[in-house]
Amino acid sequence: MKLQGEYVFDGPREDVWELVRDPEVLATALPGAQSLSQVSENEYEGTMNVRIGPVAGVFAGRVVVSDEVPPESYTLTVEGKGNPGWAKGSGQVRLVDQGDGTTLMKYEGEVQIGGRLASVGQRLIDSVSKSLIRQGLETLNQALQARIAAGCQGQEVNYCPPSEAEFAAAVAKDMATQAFASSPWLWAVLAALVVIVVVVVVLITRGG
Amino acid sequence: MAKKYVGQRIKRNEDPRLLTGQALFVDDVDLPGMLHAAFLRSDYAHARLVSIDVSAARRRPGVVAVYTAEDMGDDWQHGPPLVSPPPTVKDIVFHSRTQVPLVKDKVRLAGEPLAMVIAESRYIAEDALDDIVVELEPLGAVVDLEEALQPDAPLVHDDLDSNLAAHLIQKKGDYAAAREQADVVISRRIVIDRGTAAAMENRGYVAHWNPKSQELTLWDTTQSPIPIRNGLARMFGLSEHQVRVIAPFVGGGFGPKIMMFYPEEVMVTWATLQLGRPVKWIEDRRENFYATNQEREQVHTAELALTRDGHILGLRDDFIHDTGAYDPYGLTVPLNTQCHAFGPYKIPNYYGDLKVVFTNRPIVSPLRGAGRPQGVFIIERLLDVAARELGIDPVEIRRRNLLPPDAFPYDNEIIDQAFVPLVYDSGNYLPVLEKAVEMIGYERFLKEEQPRLRAEGRHVGIGVVSFIETTGIGPYEGARVTVAPSGQINVATGVGTQGQGHFTSFAQIVADQLGVSPHDVHLVTGDTAQFHWGTGTFASRGAVVAANAIHAAAVTVRGKVLKLASKVLDTPEEELELVDGHVRVADIPQRSISLGQLAVLANPLRGAVEPGTEPGLEATAYFGPKYGATASGAHAAIVEVDPETMMVDVKRYVIVEDCGTLLNPLIVEGQLHGGLALGLGNSFYEKLVYDENGQLLNASFADYLLPTALEVPRAEVSHLETPSPLNPLGSKGVGEGGAIPVPAVFAQAVESALADYGLEILEAPLSPNRLFELLQAARVTRDA
Repeated sequence: MKLQGEYVFDGPREDVWELVRDPEVLATALPGAQSLSQVSENEYEGTMNVRIGPVAGVFAGRVVVSDEVPPESYTLTVEGKGNPGWAKGSGQVRLVDQGDGTTLMKYEGEVQIGGRLASVGQRLIDSVSKSLIRQGLETLNQALQARIAAGCQGQEVNYCPPSEAEFAAAVAKDMATQAFASSPWLWAVLAALVVIVVVVVVLITRGG
Repeated sequence: MAKKYVGQRIKRNEDPRLLTGQALFVDDVDLPGMLHAAFLRSDYAHARLVSIDVSAARRRPGVVAVYTAEDMGDDWQHGPPLVSPPPTVKDIVFHSRTQVPLVKDKVRLAGEPLAMVIAESRYIAEDALDDIVVELEPLGAVVDLEEALQPDAPLVHDDLDSNLAAHLIQKKGDYAAAREQADVVISRRIVIDRGTAAAMENRGYVAHWNPKSQELTLWDTTQSPIPIRNGLARMFGLSEHQVRVIAPFVGGGFGPKIMMFYPEEVMVTWATLQLGRPVKWIEDRRENFYATNQEREQVHTAELALTRDGHILGLRDDFIHDTGAYDPYGLTVPLNTQCHAFGPYKIPNYYGDLKVVFTNRPIVSPLRGAGRPQGVFIIERLLDVAARELGIDPVEIRRRNLLPPDAFPYDNEIIDQAFVPLVYDSGNYLPVLEKAVEMIGYERFLKEEQPRLRAEGRHVGIGVVSFIETTGIGPYEGARVTVAPSGQINVATGVGTQGQGHFTSFAQIVADQLGVSPHDVHLVTGDTAQFHWGTGTFASRGAVVAANAIHAAAVTVRGKVLKLASKVLDTPEEELELVDGHVRVADIPQRSISLGQLAVLANPLRGAVEPGTEPGLEATAYFGPKYGATASGAHAAIVEVDPETMMVDVKRYVIVEDCGTLLNPLIVEGQLHGGLALGLGNSFYEKLVYDENGQLLNASFADYLLPTALEVPRAEVSHLETPSPLNPLGSKGVGEGGAIPVPAVFAQAVESALADYGLEILEAPLSPNRLFELLQAARVTRDA
């Protein structure tokens, strides 16, 4: 599966870079993340507890950052596996300073999936993952706003990320426009795909 | 003697039980102390097993045992080859590589079992699967059939030089010379994809080893209970008398339930032998997509050489057949493909080069049609292309090539799946084709309706194809018929039943011989304790091989009845008749004795028995045909293509079938309607989609589309009867005929509907998306 897209962060490039390098921010922005830790300079490991609808399981992922050019670009290689199956892929993320105080993120990559992720979720992955990526990036952008606001006022960052349920609900709302109606099925697919997006979001937002 | 019941549309004896939920299926078996199994399956299609740690799973409360390949010791062995390759083909290459119960070193297909958990409930067993830590080293997967034979392809079996599982060439006449003489040679690359049987009931096993009686009982969804019993006894060092295999009612077989053995079948049996407690495993639907055999993928390069007036001079069919990760079923499927490309036509010269390849996908074994739909698709597509190129009507080109009624028995000079020469026993093909042409209103449709509809902007087309179906192969089946003291007739046969109506059509045969109602015939199928010689239900052979064995046994029992009654009634046998459960003197109906009373007299408690006689009114008989009976048929369809959505609506569907003597037309038509549903799936809906890693991408009924009642048209059916000379009943099989020619007729009709575009369909199944792509490509070609 090919993934590519763009997203505009309302903040300067250096702040965005710093944000996507912070495992704690990411951990709170990702639904079901149990841990996300740096195991070496360019390597991170995390586990996510996925529990939505009928699909539940722990997904363990490993991310390697390479070709890093702060604050412009980096390449990610990601591998994850668990009860719902496996995913692996690599992608390139670029941050472009748009000169107006905003930063354009461009991402491009390819992900391969297996197990239940592939056999049950495949047909809807494309559209669902786009929605999930958007939700994830918006969450990060809100975290960025909170950081910037806190920085201006010299206060602690006071940002409460959306809960797992809120996150899923937002995605579900996106997907409601899609041409499938059965809600149990929707949840089954969502559950599988949130796992994917966790990997994908890690992939596109982790900076070394 | 007059046939009172054979040939009648009698409602099925078994249906009240089935419809009211009173029939026993494997999942209904519930034994005290029964344990439940779940299997950990590989998420990779091709991977080396580095390590597997089951210690945490073993500690989970409620888990009784967890087994890996290592735990099985010497009991871990490859499955036996179910069908060996034909020994008579010259220069044949065949590498037998059979499946394993649990992966020991290397995973060869996604879904292959790595470990088995036995627990107090299935819930606990499934949860414990998550406790198992497996390290797999993924390897490049072999998926594409042509790439599988490239020198740099990964190897499914490391000990082989390539992924070539088999290679054989069959020849008839001199194809090269025929090609030289031909006015036109049609050559096309034709691809048929994979589908699954999607039986309503998944596989299931309940195994129970009773340590005190030293007996093993296995309830099994198999189509072949007797070979399973024999194989398990051999595998586990038991006497065949210690093993009882029961195939109760089974919710659809369709072929994949003939296998020796599925890994789960061996493992559940092995587990009960270890634990001395009953163990149950019922396949879930997702497992069914991974772990039950599939069929149909082949890539053909086929060539038809013809004269200018459309007479076939020769056929060349070189193809690659996908056997999946293992090849326990030998060459049955691709041999059927080779044979059925001959169709009902006179093909004097043939050259067929068959290569079978291993891929990292589920095992391929027969699935209703079993290679036949592919062969039919090849010859029918080539004939359609030839008709177009030669400017001959598609029906007319078929007429010109059909074998005449005096050609039989007709030897095609190649060997078939039963390793005997492909001989058509009998047939009368032209009336079958003409009947279909007449029923669909072919001439009128082409002359009047199609132009009118086209003028209205509608895309409606017609298709008509002919086909043959080899059925009723050997080696043999057997049956025992007994008159009980109650007057009821008990029949036991070795074949299993999966919805074919055996309890009715077999009862009709016995009823005619013994003068009872079919309702008074009690049939037991698929229980090795009741009858333990036979092979199974497959290859459209029940109504040929088992039915004739039952017929033979009933004839013998009739003889015993008459002999005894003659003595009791003091009347010559010729003057007796069997009516309403009684033997009576024809001219004096009040002088009679019931079958039940005769049965009691035949089994006396006192007195002397004459030497050389047997007690009871019972007989066991066997039937084995010299070779298979060849059924034939013609299908015709009118379809409409929606140019906006590319959906194809089948507006009419005509089936004319000649399956020899009809035992019960209602049941035959049921088989045809069901077959049509599968055939339509194979034409337009059902395709298993694998990615380049061997991952199945549509393992659910949300994504793998089965045609529903909305898509399957009501078929208009007609029968012709050309009895088989190879068996006393004259029957031929019909279990697969409904499915076999459907993709061919569908493709012809869709091409007809879109004739303006010069579309050529060289693949099955299509889908709306695929049809759209083909149409776009055809437009580009046309506009260029």
